Parts: sequence; C-alpha cells; structure tokens
Amino acid sequence: MDILVSSLVAGLLIGMVLALVALGLTMIFGVMDVINFAHGEFLMIGMYAGLFTAQSTGMDPLFTLPVAAVVGFLLGIICYYGFIKFVMRGPMVAQLLGTFGLMLFIRNLALLIFGSEDRALHHGILVGKSFDLGMGVIMPATKLAAACLSVVAFVAIWLLMNRTRIGKALTATSLNAQGARYMGIPTEWMNALAWGIGGGSVTIAGALIVNFWSVNPFMGLLFTMIAFAIVALGGFGSVPGAFFAGLVVGIIMEIPGIWDFFTYTFNSDWMADVPMTSLKYMWVYLAYFVIMVFRPRGLFGWRK
Amino acid sequence: MEEIKNALDFSDFPRLDLIVVGLIAVFLLVFPVFPHSSFAMATMIQFLMFSIYGMGWNTIGGYGGQVDLGKAQYVGIGAFTTAVMLIRWDIPFWFSMPIGVCFAVTWSFIIGYPLFRLKGHYFAIATIATSLVLKDLFEVWDLVGAARGLEISPIKYIPPDFLRLIFREDIYYYYVILGFFFVGILYVNWFRKSRLGFQLRSIKDNEDMARSLGINVHLAKVKTYAIATAFVSVVGSFHACYIKNIEPADTMSLDISILIALMAMLGGAGSLWGPVIGAGILIPLKSYLKDWLGAQAGLVGIDLIIYAGIIMLVSAVEPKGIWGIVEKVRRRKRS
Amino acid sequence: MAFLEVHNLTKTFGGLKANDDISFTMEKGELIGLIGPNGAGKTTLFNCISGLHPVTSGRIIFDGKDITSLKSYEVARLGLARTFQVYVASGDLTVEENVMVGCFMRTRSPSQARARAYEILKDLNLHDLSDSMVSELTVAAQKRVTMATALGSDPKLLLLDEVAAGLNPNEIEEIMGTIRHVHEGLGATVMLIEHVMELVMKVSHRVIVLDSGGKIAEGDPENIANNPQVIKAYLGERYVREHGGEI
Repeated sequence: MDILVSSLVAGLLIGMVLALVALGLTMIFGVMDVINFAHGEFLMIGMYAGLFTAQSTGMDPLFTLPVAAVVGFLLGIICYYGFIKFVMRGPMVAQLLGTFGLMLFIRNLALLIFGSEDRALHHGILVGKSFDLGMGVIMPATKLAAACLSVVAFVAIWLLMNRTRIGKALTATSLNAQGARYMGIPTEWMNALAWGIGGGSVTIAGALIVNFWSVNPFMGLLFTMIAFAIVALGGFGSVPGAFFAGLVVGIIMEIPGIWDFFTYTFNSDWMADVPMTSLKYMWVYLAYFVIMVFRPRGLFGWRK
Repeated sequence: MEEIKNALDFSDFPRLDLIVVGLIAVFLLVFPVFPHSSFAMATMIQFLMFSIYGMGWNTIGGYGGQVDLGKAQYVGIGAFTTAVMLIRWDIPFWFSMPIGVCFAVTWSFIIGYPLFRLKGHYFAIATIATSLVLKDLFEVWDLVGAARGLEISPIKYIPPDFLRLIFREDIYYYYVILGFFFVGILYVNWFRKSRLGFQLRSIKDNEDMARSLGINVHLAKVKTYAIATAFVSVVGSFHACYIKNIEPADTMSLDISILIALMAMLGGAGSLWGPVIGAGILIPLKSYLKDWLGAQAGLVGIDLIIYAGIIMLVSAVEPKGIWGIVEKVRRRKRS
Repeated sequence: MAFLEVHNLTKTFGGLKANDDISFTMEKGELIGLIGPNGAGKTTLFNCISGLHPVTSGRIIFDGKDITSLKSYEVARLGLARTFQVYVASGDLTVEENVMVGCFMRTRSPSQARARAYEILKDLNLHDLSDSMVSELTVAAQKRVTMATALGSDPKLLLLDEVAAGLNPNEIEEIMGTIRHVHEGLGATVMLIEHVMELVMKVSHRVIVLDSGGKIAEGDPENIANNPQVIKAYLGERYVREHGGEI
C-alpha cells in the first residue's frame, strides 16, 4: 500500500511541475498555432540557468527562479524576432522543420558550451531533506518545494492571462489575430510576448526540476514529448486543461511504481519479469498516441 | 507494359535536367573505379541510403503532404528482421529483406489506420510517438538483443557472400545500394504519374475536393504510407548487413526519422529529385563537418550547429527546398 | 422513380438548423437552379447530397440508390460530381493534372486519363491553359477548371456551387455557355447554386428557393421571379408591403 500511495503522490508532485512545463507550449500554440519542438530545449536552458546561478552565487537553488525566468523570457523573445517570425510566413511543414532546427541548434550549442556530462546540484537547504506526509509516504523536500512553487507560478501566469489587459490582448490575438489587429492590438508584439512568457514559464520549471534531476544537453526531447502529451490530453491551447493533464501524465510516469505494487500484491512472477522501469517513458508516448486518436479534443473537450 | 514505360519515361523534365541527371548517374556508376578514400566511400554509401529513405518519405510526405517524423521505426523493423534471421537461423539477406518489408508494412497498416485520422501537427507528433514506443519496446525485447542490440559477426561467413550480403570491401555494398537507388528512382518516377500519385497530390491540394472526385482519402494515405514504409524497411535491412552492429538507440532514434524527412524537405518535397539533392548536400556536409570540426578540433556539436543553422535557414527562406528555388527561377525566366 | 429524390432532409449544426425538412425531386436531363439569400443553406444542401456532411435526418436517393449514409467518395463514384464555391489550391497541380485527377476515377491508366483530360479541356476551350498552375489563373478560369475537373469523372449529375460569383459580365456570358454546353452537349443533369440572377433565370428549367434553411418556393423561372415569398426573402417584408409585390 505504501508503494502505491507513494507512487501516486510522487506522480502528482511531478505532475504539478510538468504542468508548468507544458503551460508555455500550450500558450504558444494557443496564440499562434505553432508547435515548438524546441520547448524541451528551453527547459534544459532553464535548468542550466538555475544550476549555474546557484553554483556561482552560492544562492539557494530555489531562489534562482527570477534569473531563469528572465533568461527564458529573453530567449523566447529573441527566438521569435530572430527566427519564428520568418518561419510563420511559410506553410506548416516549414514551421515543424524550423522549430526542429531550433531544437538541434540549442541542443548542440549547449553541448558545445557545457559539454555532454550530467550536472547536478549538490547544495541548498532542502537537498537531502525529506518530509513525512503520513501513511508512510516520504517525499524529498526538493520535489515538494518544486511542486508547490510550480503551482504558484502556474496560477500567477494564469492570472496574468485572465486578469490583466495584456492577458486579454493575448487572448484576443489567439481567438482572432486579424480582428485583434484591427482593434489596435500590436499582434506582432503579442506573439513575441507569448513566446516570452512561454519561454519564461518553462525555464522556471527547469530551474525547479534541476533541484532533483541532473541536466545534460540531450534531455530536452524527452520533455518536449512529455509536454506534447500533456497538451494533447488537456486540449491544445487550453491552460486549465494543461494543469489537470499534467497531473495525469505525472501519474502515468509513475506506472512502474504502481506496477511494482501490484506485482507484490499478487506476488506474480510474470509481472516481476516485465522490465517496467525501462518502459517508463513509453507510456507517455503511448498516451499521446491514444489520446490523439481516440479523444482528439483532449479530456476536457477543448481544442483550438 | 504501360507501367514500365511510365517508369522509364522522364520526358517531362527539361533537357538540361536530363543531361545533369545522366552525368550524375554515370558518375555514380564509375565512382568506385577512381581512387578514393574509404571515408569518401562510406559517405557515398550513406548518401545513397539516405536518398532512398528520402524517396520513400517523399511519397507520403512530399506528394501527399503528410509530415511523417516516425520513419526510424521502419528502419528498425527492417534492420532487426534481417539481423535476427541471419544470426539465429542463417536466413540470407535476400530472403529476410522481403520478410522485413512484410513486417514493416503490416505494422504500418496497424498504426496507419488510426494515425491518419490526425492531421498536420497532431499527425507529425503522433508519428514520433509511435516510433519512440516501438524503440522502447525493442530496447527491452530479448529476441532483438534488447538495448545491447545485435551484432552480425563477419567471421562466420566467407566474404564476399552475395546471398547474405557480407562483404569485406565497401565497393560491393556500394553497388548493391546503388542498384536499390536506381530501382527507387524508377519506382518514384512511376508513382508520381500513377493514379495513386495523382490522388495523393490532389489530397495535398484539398481533401474535400479529393473526396468529391471519388478518392478514398484515408485509404490512399494508408496505402502510400505502406509504400514509403517498404522503401525504408529495405534500406533498413541493408543497413543491418552493412553496419553489422545495430542497437535500437541508434537505428530507431528520432534523429534518424528527422534526418529522413529533412533530406526530402531540404531538396524539395514532392519532387522526384528533391530527396537526392537533399541527401547529396546534407550527408557529405554532415560527415565532413563532423570529421573536420568535430573530431579534429575537438569542438563537439559544432557540426550539428551548422547543420541546424541550414535547416533553420531553409525553413525560413524557402520552405519548398532547393528544387523550389530552381523551379521559381525557371518560372521567372519563362514569364 | 425520379433521378434524384431528396426526402425531408434536415441538417443541424449544434442548435442551428441549416437545412430544415427539404424535399424535392429532379428528373434526368434537368437543369435546376438553387437560389436563396446568403446563409439560406444552399451549400449545406450540396454538402449533404454529395456526402460531405452526414445528414441529421431524411433520405437522399440518387439514380435508384439510397445514398443518405454513403461517404462522399462513394457518392462520387456513383456519378455525382460537384464543384466548390471557394477553391483553395495550394498550387502543386497544373490545370491538366487537376482534370486528370477527376479522370482517374474512371480509369487506372495515366495515358487514358491524360487523353480524356485533353478532350475535356479542348471541349471547354481551356487547352491553352493546360500547363498553367491552377493557383496562377484568374478566378473565372479557375471556376471553369473546377468544372472541367468535375467533368473528368463523367458524372451523371453535376452540382455547381456558385460558378459565376465574382465574375464580370463577359465572363458570366462565357461560363453560361460552358454550363449550357455541359448540359446539352455532354448530357449531364445539372443543379447549380447561383446568386447571379440573369444566369439562373436564363439557363434553369426549374428553380428552387431556400430561405433560412427551408424550401420556400419551387417552380419555373418566371413564376419564381414573381413569387411574393421569394421577393420577401430577398428584399424584406417592408419592401413587399410598400411596392405591392412588384419588382
């Protein structure tokens, strides 16, 4: 029972962080119908930003979020004005190819600069500590803090989108870009802003994730795929959808733990033989495929 | 008979093109005769392999406009079928290759039917997802060697073994893949003028319109997807015999899928020569950049940065690829 | 049994009734005009008949077969072709190739399809444009190409959706000639949606009028032109009251 509850709680916690990862992707998609293949690379940059800021200043890693956010915001804006803007004129194929090129570019730039080795944080007030949540569930403090801060960041961005003039202008652009332009909304700047906020939110997630995960230049793609799965599940372009879908995908990623629980419960030999840990991420890809084919509007029935 | 005539008929291209194509064909035929480094030879074989991958991709992705980013799974099916059959039961390449094609095509139908309910971005990402699912499964499947993959040990055979495609010199591999290359060109040349080819181009143009002209859009896509799959699987089988050491992590990686799509898109998706042009530029560029910049100067990743830069440039400036530029210039001259 | 029978066809989108209980029949060799103000449901009716939209209720019988639940490509193969109001060509196909796609419905052989496409293009006086990209043509020429493409499949019944919209008087004259030729020369049964009244009234044997989803009138062109309900639909209640129903 302990394993089951621990797995579910761990899934929910990581799901909260993943929701923040997917937020930027779904927002950019919502505003301008572009799928950003480089999304995971943004996350990786956020992780490096958090890591180096913490290491060079000796600051506690949990307080590096503002730095990561600024880095991500600028990265998003630069990508938009320097590249995406031009790709948008072409057909969809060009956009797929283009953001894929961007992904390769960032990944290998990171490889050139940071090298291929795994880097991890080893200091910070929460590192190595853990909380007892009762029922025998013990969670690392870093994960718990990351989950809480993710929810805070998520809600903050959601409020920004729904309660401010800028948010309304963004929504207007996403619903009808041409109409918004006639109403005097600078849609070009709104697109850039979507990239900025999208980039900023994912780098914040990166700075949180680096507290309990090591970083290397090749990890982006996995998170891109995870984010795609979340966005598909929550409905493309839907912000609240992304949150709940993040939780679901978090639990999907804990399937090996849940499998272990049932293996022990039934004391089953064949179940023990299934190499579940190696198939950890397969469930995420499978989830995307199944969701898209059988429930293309996402769980919450919203698709742009 | 008409089929064969159509496959051999290139008369709709301008004479200049045909001269260039003829010269390239002659060059490809005599290339090994001239002195060359083994590195150049390996690059040429890679070029031919990726041209064929690209031709396959071009049928569904170029003529049909369905951006498929999951072709690596079929490279894997072809490669592992051939490797497993050779290692376990000593079944030679020329028998295992068609069997691999059967497996790949069957798998393509199984996932193609649900897959083609999706369009655009959704379709593209779903193809990636299916490819990664299969890769993960192969990585835990003992029959195909799990994550370690398989190694065809050449010691057991006496090269040159034409039946099993085990050679010591690359020149043999070169001519085998060159043969597939020419067959591939002729097939695509036939395909683009066939009924299915026309139907597919009409689907790319406007799906509702295609439906109103009696085209079963879903079936046409699934069929073409199977054709593309067969191309990829054949080269996958060849890859197993040529490389001899295959693991799912390389053979079925997303990078391979993307590279395949890239060949066609850079050269010009939906044109006969596009994939060949794309592979002709990208493959030498990739291997020489890697050789010069990567290994010699110790700058890991710089080759792929330049590579990514080219991709970005093409997608921003001319999404129809190099062939698109050629056609644009020609049209401007005409008018 | 009539050539085309539409029985109580209803099509709803969410709460909106785009077609409301429409019934009519059509005989072989007829040329029927389908008119009505914008949003009357004309194109939806075409979409339902040609199988592009599933109908909500009602029955459609074409040439003795119930085609209500058939897919659009199956309907097309039975000999029912249509054109589209808005033609979006991404520009990959030339005129000839476009027509060939239609011809491929009846043959597998590229050379036969090419020969048939050549015949049709010649017949419609379009053969000069054979090698042009469809996207580079004028609207008028594009509309004729879409007709040629539809004709490629040798249809028994041809549904034309606003082939004259946006054309100048000369071009309208030209397309009217084409429609007549298709109808009389090639012997196709034709139904056309049109806003250009002089065209509809001149060529149609019979006119059906839709308004806000329902059929409000049916009859020969002269009767329709003087039908107060039709005038009301087009010009509004007040106009009819003030002018006593005269146009």
